[in-house]
Amino acid sequence: MERVAVTGFGIVAPPGIGKKPFWANVKAGRSSVRKIERYDASLYPCHVGGMVHDLDVYSHVSSRLLQKIDPFSHMALIASEMALKDAGIDLSKENLNRVGIFMGNALGGWLYGETELRDLYIEGREGVSPYMASAWFPAAPQGQVSIYYGIKGYSKTVVSDRASSLMAVGHATKVLQKEKADFILAGGMEAPLSPYGLLCCNTNGELSTKNDPPEEAYKPFDRQRDGFVPAEGAGIMILEGEERAKKRSACILAYITGYGTTCDGVDRIKPNPDGKEAGRAIRMALDQAGAKPVDIDYISLDGAATQEGDVGEVAAIRDVFGAAASKVPASVPKTMFGNLLGASGAVDMITTLLAMEHNMAPPMLNLKEVDPACKGLDYVTDKARPVEIKKALVISRGRGGINAALVMEKA
Amino acid sequence: MGTKEEVKQVIVHLLKVRPEEVKDGQSLEQSLGVDSTEMVEVVIALQKKFGVQLAEKEVAKQHTVEQIAQVIDSKRNA
Repeated sequence: MERVAVTGFGIVAPPGIGKKPFWANVKAGRSSVRKIERYDASLYPCHVGGMVHDLDVYSHVSSRLLQKIDPFSHMALIASEMALKDAGIDLSKENLNRVGIFMGNALGGWLYGETELRDLYIEGREGVSPYMASAWFPAAPQGQVSIYYGIKGYSKTVVSDRASSLMAVGHATKVLQKEKADFILAGGMEAPLSPYGLLCCNTNGELSTKNDPPEEAYKPFDRQRDGFVPAEGAGIMILEGEERAKKRSACILAYITGYGTTCDGVDRIKPNPDGKEAGRAIRMALDQAGAKPVDIDYISLDGAATQEGDVGEVAAIRDVFGAAASKVPASVPKTMFGNLLGASGAVDMITTLLAMEHNMAPPMLNLKEVDPACKGLDYVTDKARPVEIKKALVISRGRGGINAALVMEKA
Repeated sequence: MGTKEEVKQVIVHLLKVRPEEVKDGQSLEQSLGVDSTEMVEVVIALQKKFGVQLAEKEVAKQHTVEQIAQVIDSKRNA
């Protein structure tokens, strides 16, 4: 079975659009979580988040197209363009029937949806844009990227809450291993900070309500944690078979060597705090990668910042890693910019790729006093730590007990 | 301003295209690549602007701005 290489990526996230500003802020441990002031969100239990600014400055998308799509598609288009450029791919020389798009998303395009719903109730049927039908749903960005570039190969959108994009990458890897595509744009995008989108996120009870100061709201594994903070953005990578990547002299950033996914099967929202199924997903990923726990140099944690989420995740790692658990640097870089929900796994992968490139484990913020039930891991706090990362584990979990784990190996 | 210019203005504003992209003698599909969904928006905007009812067949992407203006004028004068 052929190894799958990552040969480029595009990132649109609160710390920055493009790899340089993104990494500069992440490496420095700078928070980009702020109070949401695009509209009056002050009465929402959680009214802080990670926002992307200046999208227009980086956009190559025409205003004619922009009025037909939601911001989550816009961010996916920008990240895709960056990823293709980063990988040095000229689509005019590719067989577009053999190019795929695998995306993860949890919520769909609510800003477009809720604006048109308002118009429906105020102006009636004729007030609704005919593009509503194609703008709001989770697979819209996949369609828009496909139309924009004329990509026609095997593609899929995965909707699995916060595990969506890591699962999309996992599926894309399998498709490439079976040589059903030449290369794949894989990742995710999310825009949950619209008035109704944020309200929905608030109702699931997993968001932090410690709004002041915003930078300190998201504190997974801490005794004082009370949930995560939502964020918007997109992260898209170019995945291709090793042979093809080498043949075209592409810069191989890393290989995806293992992937595993399981379900807890216990509750419609909460994960199982025993972490057994999360552990089984991690074990599957490690086994497929042919890696032992001691081989892993960095763990990018899911860090839900909920009681069951945190305790279960640590239990899973302790179960799989045993004595090695306390020796592997681990962190939740999302504490700096918020959780991008369906796009979070892809963004965690991209952060890990940058960590591998720069030999630096990215930090997590706000871990002042570790919850006694979450002890036993080597948390990288506040400042990036110089570490040579050859193999890394990325964990992503979603509501209802969805677990996904992926192993990457530096080229 | 004549009806033709007004129709053109509606299209330019709605589709966010440059006025010179709307070419005389070419259909909206030929000059702008207008698709059927955009055409729904164009028809609704023209109905609002001119206060006339326009059927799908009367104003379509296969028509030029001139032809559309003629349809609107004939309805207004009827």
